[in-house]
Amino acid sequence: MSDILFSLHSWPQAILHIDGDAFFTSCEEAIHPELRGKPIIAGGERGIVACASYAAKAMGVKRGVPLHEAKKKCPGLVILPSDYETYSLFSRRMFNVMRRFTPQVEEYSIDEAFADITGMRKAHRASYETIALNMKAEIVKELGITVSVGLSLTKVLAKVASKHQKPDGFTPIPGRMIAKYLEHLPVEKIWGIGHATTNYLNKMGVRTALAFARLPEDTVRKRFTKPGMEIWRELRGESVYPVNQEEKSTYASISKTKTFSPPSNNADYLFAHLMRNLESACLKARNYHLAAKRIVAFLKRNDFSYTGREIKLNRPSVYPMELSPELRHIFVDIYRPQDLYRATGIVLMELTKDANIQYTLFEDALKAERVHDIYRVMDEVSEKYGKHSLHLGASHLIEVFGRGRRGEATAREKTRFPGETKRRHLSIPILHVKV
Amino acid sequence: MKEKRTLQGVAGIMGAFFRDHQRMPTYTEMMTQLNVRSKSAVEFWVKKLLSNGILKKDKKGFLIPLRPFLGLPIVGDVAAGFPSPAEEELRDVISLDQYLITRPDASFLLKVTGDSMIGEGIREGDLVIVEKGRSPKTGDIVIAEVDGEWTMKYFIRKGKTIVLEAANPKYPPIKPRAELRLGGVVTAVIRKYHQ
Repeated sequence: MSDILFSLHSWPQAILHIDGDAFFTSCEEAIHPELRGKPIIAGGERGIVACASYAAKAMGVKRGVPLHEAKKKCPGLVILPSDYETYSLFSRRMFNVMRRFTPQVEEYSIDEAFADITGMRKAHRASYETIALNMKAEIVKELGITVSVGLSLTKVLAKVASKHQKPDGFTPIPGRMIAKYLEHLPVEKIWGIGHATTNYLNKMGVRTALAFARLPEDTVRKRFTKPGMEIWRELRGESVYPVNQEEKSTYASISKTKTFSPPSNNADYLFAHLMRNLESACLKARNYHLAAKRIVAFLKRNDFSYTGREIKLNRPSVYPMELSPELRHIFVDIYRPQDLYRATGIVLMELTKDANIQYTLFEDALKAERVHDIYRVMDEVSEKYGKHSLHLGASHLIEVFGRGRRGEATAREKTRFPGETKRRHLSIPILHVKV
Repeated sequence: MKEKRTLQGVAGIMGAFFRDHQRMPTYTEMMTQLNVRSKSAVEFWVKKLLSNGILKKDKKGFLIPLRPFLGLPIVGDVAAGFPSPAEEELRDVISLDQYLITRPDASFLLKVTGDSMIGEGIREGDLVIVEKGRSPKTGDIVIAEVDGEWTMKYFIRKGKTIVLEAANPKYPPIKPRAELRLGGVVTAVIRKYHQ
């Protein structure tokens, strides 16, 4: 079955996907050489495994499990707090190395990126495979981390390829070989195919990516939505999704969640956390000139179960001052004093451009304008003195009780060079070796 | 009016192209750059640049620029008197960052804790810039792992063997028995005296 041809040409386009291998812990191994090859995890501050090194994975430590469980599985486990500052420096470097080979690079997430290298063979005097391998080699050499590279005709196929061999893998899937790689791939492993679509496909008797790609066009058009159709075409080697080099300029939703420790049932403290999440989410939304029409607030219990409510606003807003009474209502509604909570969260949804907010008929427009002015000043203050240096009284308890951070400070936080402040650090990763 | 092309002018155009694109233009690109209509005209100017030592051909016959033609103009050696404003305008500036760090994507900071390089003037508490992926030459200062310990030493190649030497008589030279693991090459030292 694997000799089915989707594309006669090997490389009508060449798109590659680079995926960091256990990215957070790989960065830690690069700056702490003595940890190389040891079982380590990042995520200590959250009490769960955010990322496990391959040595830890080999001992059965999985992402998302609580620390005490991970420790039981692997007694010598090194637990580190996540050092996002260092990880994003590595991330930026990875993207910079990729840009040496082509300007068309899409930063997909902190540890993943796409690059379109179509037409670059002449410039580099090398085949697409060689370009991809050179890119990989430079990342490994200069950053000291390994990545897995997938090279194919479309973004969906490039993702299939980069996952095919991990860690430190390189998998090219030229047009003629597509079927071979899709033959044994379960549909739920395809990028963009979720739980619901998987179930639906399975009911149709479609279990592998190849079976999906072989469905007749009519069937796909009739039975699936537009994204389903697009994935079907991408799987067949027809590039639908462009590699988008623009920075993300808009969001469908913005969410902020913070886990604290120890868990708490103190109503004021919990509400302060909820309020702080609202302030953070609104700040981000204001930076992108967005306003929310719907807001979800939730509490996460100590047993990892959730409780939450949603509010629909009569007009979009991004000002915690306007939203706090609503938030209070939700909180009173969902909070139970007998439960212990470990996290709170806020999601802003139905985001619209904040330029065209229409005040409602029975509203005091003058007051709304005043709130708008206050936040303009508040944003200037936080620009200068740091996020949340001005905040609402309701979230102030966090400053009093501390942020409930678990575990140690990161190695970067413990290092301060002359002239650095807590908020301003040199933008170069630090090697932590004693010489 | 047709502009008269001069050797300097042509070199300048190609220099600008190289600075913008980090590569030499192709003959076709040179045609547009120089505003000439044939490749033989391009060839004429390339030959001139070659014979004047502004360009060179590599083994494969590709053009490569020679240093003086493109060398980053650094704000000069301090001579007596002040440079005239006109002179200064011609110069590009580089930041201290760029001066200290040649390969920003491969460089790391390291705080020195020991005194093994004291003879080199590298003291405890100094910051050194370490470049990953650079292959060391004799005399370079490297960060290396020897028998599970990390050290900063001179890298010295004697025939086939490698010796790591400290700039401090307290520490004897080390001949790594097993494979030498390199953390990187020290490319700069930073010491700050005031906050």
